[in-house]
Amino acid sequence: MAWGAQQSFPRAILHTDGDSFFASCEVAKNPSLRGKPVITGKERGIVSSMTYEARALGVRRAMPLHEIKKKFPEVIILPSDYETYSIFSNRMYEIVRRYTPAVEEYSIDECFADLTGLRRLHHMPYPKIAASIKRDLERELGMTFSMGLSCTKVLAKIGSKWNKPSGLTIIPLRDAGAFLKQTPIGKIWGIGPNTAAYLNKFGIQTAYDFAKKDEAWIRATTSKPYVELWKELNGTVMSELDSAGRKSYQSIQKTKTFTPSRDMRVVFSQLSKNVENACIKARRWNLATKDISFFLKTQDFRYHGYEIKLSSATCVPQDILKVVSEYFPDVFKKGTEYRATGITLMSLGDAGSAQLDIFGSVLKSEGLKKVFESVDAISLRYGKHAVFLGSSFEAMKSGAHLGERGEKPARTRELFKGETARRRLGIPSLGEV
Amino acid sequence: MYEEYKKKLVAFYETHRRMPGYKEIMALTGFRSKNAVFKFIGKLIEDGVVRKDERGRLSPASLGAGIRLLGLVEAGFPSAAEEELLDVIDFDEYLTPNKESSYILKVKGDSMIDAGIQPGDMVIVERKSSYKLGQIVIANVDSEFTMKYLRKSGDKYYLEPANKKYKPIYPKESFSIEAVVTAVVRKY
Repeated sequence: MAWGAQQSFPRAILHTDGDSFFASCEVAKNPSLRGKPVITGKERGIVSSMTYEARALGVRRAMPLHEIKKKFPEVIILPSDYETYSIFSNRMYEIVRRYTPAVEEYSIDECFADLTGLRRLHHMPYPKIAASIKRDLERELGMTFSMGLSCTKVLAKIGSKWNKPSGLTIIPLRDAGAFLKQTPIGKIWGIGPNTAAYLNKFGIQTAYDFAKKDEAWIRATTSKPYVELWKELNGTVMSELDSAGRKSYQSIQKTKTFTPSRDMRVVFSQLSKNVENACIKARRWNLATKDISFFLKTQDFRYHGYEIKLSSATCVPQDILKVVSEYFPDVFKKGTEYRATGITLMSLGDAGSAQLDIFGSVLKSEGLKKVFESVDAISLRYGKHAVFLGSSFEAMKSGAHLGERGEKPARTRELFKGETARRRLGIPSLGEV
Repeated sequence: MYEEYKKKLVAFYETHRRMPGYKEIMALTGFRSKNAVFKFIGKLIEDGVVRKDERGRLSPASLGAGIRLLGLVEAGFPSAAEEELLDVIDFDEYLTPNKESSYILKVKGDSMIDAGIQPGDMVIVERKSSYKLGQIVIANVDSEFTMKYLRKSGDKYYLEPANKKYKPIYPKESFSIEAVVTAVVRKY
């Protein structure tokens, strides 16, 4: 057992988690929202993020908004402004990077940082470094963060959950046991309800019970990820930080809900837009695929679709849409109301290594590829979707949603001279003064 | 072709905010060998477009992103300073040296007109840990942002407009200073 006598921080891993991140970004931008129940997700029709004030009323994630309006009329409902959230997210990473180059951008509102060996550089013990990062984050971003400092990612994550919101929980290795005793096994990062139920059968209720088992038992009873988890709980780093960021994708999916429609043209156009978006992303990562699948989602949440194999790998929307349009009439049922479409590009590979095929269609698509190099260059200059396919027109001419769900965030409505609806300054706006 | 390749390199840098690696340069330019890339980089270094550090990593020197300072022109004698590579910063760095704590606001009122801040202007502000007297600050008074000079009389802080039409604000309850104005931007 590694806890107890050993040094407190054989490694120093910090986990940072933005408290109700999306809603907090909104409050940080607008002082009149402070202390009020605020939620985001207006365009989705469900609660996507909520402030602690909203949570206190009983609002939970994924609640439908019509229910919110009925039960909690005082709640302020805002459309998501992902551009601003991404800017705040990048700022979070950058502030943490002032202290260490080893930062893993885990998700939009979370990151890990490796502080090992930086005490001398900063003239501070690890807990002080963590406190200093927290102070910078909260001062500069105008919102609170919950943080956990320990010697592995799994333990650091227990720390950041420990005292929310705005907590900083230090778990030195020698004290880890006390924390694990109070942590139900299902609350550990990486253990889902099924695994928790399975482990319960062996009398394992808390993370402590799990960590106390000997390695042979763990190996005999569980699979590899849980052996690693067990080691992390015992203070050995098994999962190093990935500070390189994302290098590639295995698959890319684009899906979007829209105001329900029975119109075939509208539904196909939505799908076409998703295909274009998926291809834009594939090209950005220089990827191409032969395997695609698409689906249509009906108003009663049923999915209908096809998985298709293309004759050659592509990242050009026309190639994909040509095949999709052959199968689309089989899937689309007249009179059925559809609420979403989606496309998945699977088993993606390097776009450079595409092979020629016998029928010469690759050559044709090579020409198209040149066209899309220009399209991407135009988008870079004038914003995404500056030019798009005719088949996406229905979806592009209005937003995804009509009526109040179509409300755009303030950022895209109030522009400065020189900004356009497509390209804006990369600095959050605090509104008018 | 060299200029074309250079443009692609700059475009890559603008998108990814880093310099491409050898393989990526091959993909950008269509070069078939690393030797070609090596020569290309050699030319770029010679031209002062990029720099190479001791580990062989590339960093941008002058990608043409910044606006070049031309140096002093002495009366009557045109200077050859254009060719001089001076250290330049772009407007991003100039206007928002502390990027993570910078925000923008749109000016709506004319209460700071005598300080040269007009309705419609953009102000760039920074969130700080402390603020000084005499600074133009963004204060949160009754859940609304207002932009005024920060002043003090006796031991009471107050907010003073730069327009005789308006009276100073002596906040009755507590108020907080949220940010300090560091620049005003007006485009014509």
